[in-house]
Amino acid sequence: MKTLTRQELEDFAANPPANPPEWIRVQLDTGGIAAGAEAVHAALAHEREERKLLFSLQRAGSIGYSFADPVIEVQAPGMPRIHYGHVTPELVGQVIEDHLRDRRLIDDHVIATRQRAVTLDGPVTHLLVRDTGPETGSKTEFFQFSFTEELKRRGLAERVQVVRALDIGVYEEGAVIQLLPSGVTYANVLAPDVARIVAESIEGGRVIDDLLWKTPDRQVRIVLRNCGDVDPDSLDDYLRRASGYQGLRRALFESNPEQVIAELKASGLRGRGGAGFPTWMKWQLTRAQPAPQRYVICNGDEGDPGAFMDRSVLESDPHSVLEGMMIAAYAMGASKGYFYIRAEYPKAVERIERAIRQAREQGLLGKNILGSTFSFEAKVRLGAGAFVCGEETALIASIEGRRGSPSPRPPYPSVRGLWGMPTAINNVETLACVPAILTRGGAWFAGFGTETSKGTKVFAVTGKVRNAQLVEVPMGTTLREIIYEVCGGVLDGREIKAVQTGGPSGGVIPVQHLDTRVSYESLQQLGSIMGSGGMLVMDKTDSMVEVAKFYLKFCVDESCGKCAPCRIGGYQLLQILDRISRGRGSAGDLALIQRICQAMQRASLCGLGQTAPNPVLSTLRYFGEEYQAFIEGGPSYARKVSRGSASPAKAPERTGTTPPVNPTPSNR
Amino acid sequence: MKSAAPASPVGHVSHDESALLDLLESLKQRHGFVPREVSDEVSRLVEVKLERLRRIQSQLDTTIRRDVQQHVAHWREEEGNLIMILHAIQNQHGYVPREVAMELSRELGVKLARIYEVITFYHYFKLQPPGAHTVTVCNGTACYLKGSGELLNELRSQLGIAEGQTTPDRQIHLDTVRCIGCCGMAPAIVVDGKTCGHVKSSEIAGHLAGLRAKKEAVA
Ligand SMILES: Cc1cc2nc3c(=O)[nH]c(=O)nc-3n(C[C@H](O)[C@H](O)[C@H](O)COP(=O)(O)O)c2cc1C
Ligand code: SF4
Ligand code: FES
Repeated sequence: MKTLTRQELEDFAANPPANPPEWIRVQLDTGGIAAGAEAVHAALAHEREERKLLFSLQRAGSIGYSFADPVIEVQAPGMPRIHYGHVTPELVGQVIEDHLRDRRLIDDHVIATRQRAVTLDGPVTHLLVRDTGPETGSKTEFFQFSFTEELKRRGLAERVQVVRALDIGVYEEGAVIQLLPSGVTYANVLAPDVARIVAESIEGGRVIDDLLWKTPDRQVRIVLRNCGDVDPDSLDDYLRRASGYQGLRRALFESNPEQVIAELKASGLRGRGGAGFPTWMKWQLTRAQPAPQRYVICNGDEGDPGAFMDRSVLESDPHSVLEGMMIAAYAMGASKGYFYIRAEYPKAVERIERAIRQAREQGLLGKNILGSTFSFEAKVRLGAGAFVCGEETALIASIEGRRGSPSPRPPYPSVRGLWGMPTAINNVETLACVPAILTRGGAWFAGFGTETSKGTKVFAVTGKVRNAQLVEVPMGTTLREIIYEVCGGVLDGREIKAVQTGGPSGGVIPVQHLDTRVSYESLQQLGSIMGSGGMLVMDKTDSMVEVAKFYLKFCVDESCGKCAPCRIGGYQLLQILDRISRGRGSAGDLALIQRICQAMQRASLCGLGQTAPNPVLSTLRYFGEEYQAFIEGGPSYARKVSRGSASPAKAPERTGTTPPVNPTPSNR
Repeated sequence: MKSAAPASPVGHVSHDESALLDLLESLKQRHGFVPREVSDEVSRLVEVKLERLRRIQSQLDTTIRRDVQQHVAHWREEEGNLIMILHAIQNQHGYVPREVAMELSRELGVKLARIYEVITFYHYFKLQPPGAHTVTVCNGTACYLKGSGELLNELRSQLGIAEGQTTPDRQIHLDTVRCIGCCGMAPAIVVDGKTCGHVKSSEIAGHLAGLRAKKEAVA
């Protein structure tokens, strides 16, 4: 088989291919497939065949709109690209007839573009409308009707279609409309504005300043740059449409390993797997160790239960992660790499394995890559359902085929790692940043973020949030912006109580700190951590004691049992929490909790035991009254306190040791 | 290929055996003794049966050995290959049968105890055959917040088993998993590989009835 040459790679960079004029892309990641994306793809393929249509049917990963799965994207000539959510096989006929043939959008499925414009370029063809007011959606039809009538009155109904959107990207701002193709967006539109918008913007081509929604999108897609765009199963697509392996080309032919590390240093990239250690330094330390062999490992164990950033990146853009690993290997002089991926992520495993195979076939892996002196091989190793294997030393033990028990550090893996050789372990997201840094420069990357935390961070925002989705924002974005502006606020318009970040190693951040700008340091100050990017939104009905118990139980289940503080301390702590949540707690329990937590933090061998108390300590710090309420008034009273419907000051007098009437704990 | 299923041939034998014994008993009662021809015939039958069993047994051994050798050959060159081989075995059988683990120990020259040490450390590896059907409840944070606990309780009480267990008739296995990547559809469960989102506890009975109907259709 003919292999890729340096020259060809340069040609790809110089002449990116034109997209076909007409295409439909189906987002086939695990979430999309679970929601039925394969059936949608099959229906599209069938119709295409049956009607002998020419549109190009493509496969892609996920853009991150989990709330709207399955998602497809449609490009028809002369129209902007349109995302549709909640697509079913039954909708496919409409996509083909209405959208591709008649250039008409489909009601209740369009997800409006986040690339909002402030100027109108060209005549309006479609008007998206959605009521985002308190009773979400209730006035959407009214506005659709009003706009349609007004357009009819002015003889424009043929030219402009009014479409109800599934999601318009602006929330709690009354009726919102978006004019296509430009993307000009108006918010808080009232009935009298309808005539004005039609007359001035649609007929007159002028933007109405007092309605214009000027807040730009908070998101910046660096890690997710290709997710939802490229076909994760096609190296060719990655090479041609996503400047694939251009970062590697620059590393190999336009710089030496020291310069690559210098570029990483300039970027300020820090590890995205939790601890935030500077990536360039990790590479430098590994490089500095004299050794016959060095290894690079991609940590795709993604243990945080409820976070799916790494899975999504591996499934949607596997070649980017592979390219990042190769650049890392070149920089530190490693000739072998391992992807350590959870066995519970079969799609991610399948796609990264395919990516490796394709890269090998094209000579991007193997000896003397692209004719350079750099040789590299990559392999996949599966995790087997042990959270502790995300810890570096345990992960190494697991790749070596042993039980994944952590061992004391130092020596750090950069000194003695896999099979005793210097090893650098990087998170999936960290590696996915690397090709972008190499092609666009460290300074460009460092242009995003805060003083100490550079670049962007991907979060998987879930829980009681309106739009559960992947979000990538520059560091320094506030929690409020992420939750309210990007994800649409709390589900069912309820009140937010707290946000959990960092999963089982993290903590809760109460509502009064929502304006905190996200960075490694700021989250740590609040008693939480950045973690790998899970972000769980909790509303008034969620009991903080139950949440703490949930995370603690997780850590106790996952403790490897090697050291006593974690094994015994964790178990004791869980028993106390259980007692409290059943209304059997006593006044001394809270002090006891503090003592056990401190012992675990200080004396545990690895990060699991050291951080397991974090969810407990942070809920105690901010929601101590909920613990008190359980102890003083029992579960049903505590539930009222946690909802805010009883004030903790007026705990009912409980007589002696009478057990509470209804001791069933509930998380509702 | 589910090679480790000696239960059914044995079941057949014992069934035939009891018929035989009945026959002998009735002969003895009617005639006071068992004629020579009959007892010879019986011992011949038993020999044939035993021979057949031995054949099945040795076929089984050969299959197991061949499969294990194949897995090991595939991973031979790789350092630290034990976990990857165990994955291959579990993919094939749905669990790690004891006979296979023993063969693997011989083939790799690794102590059986060390193999079990690894198997038991990792939750993913199973030592019991899975049920015919599996219901998995996502217990990731998003699903937890949206009520996966209630779904699990409902399943526990309807099936009469805890998570990680299989119903006594080996039909339905109940399990939990952490985040299946469909947090947008929380709470989610997986019924025989099919993901169902926004599940309510009132819908559990329907899902189970669906599985049981499938079972009858197969039987
Ligand atoms: C118990 C435990 C679990 C961890 N789980 C993960 C994980 O799932 N993914 C990950 O990338 N890092 C995880 N880490 C952090 C890794 O040990 C390591 O710091 C990280 O992979 C380094 O990559 P980075 O520098 O790119 O962040 C975990 C750490 C601990 C202590
Ligand atoms: S802290 Fe816990 S998980 Fe880590 S080594 Fe000790 S027992 Fe094992
Ligand atoms: S937490 Fe259940 S699917 Fe993610």
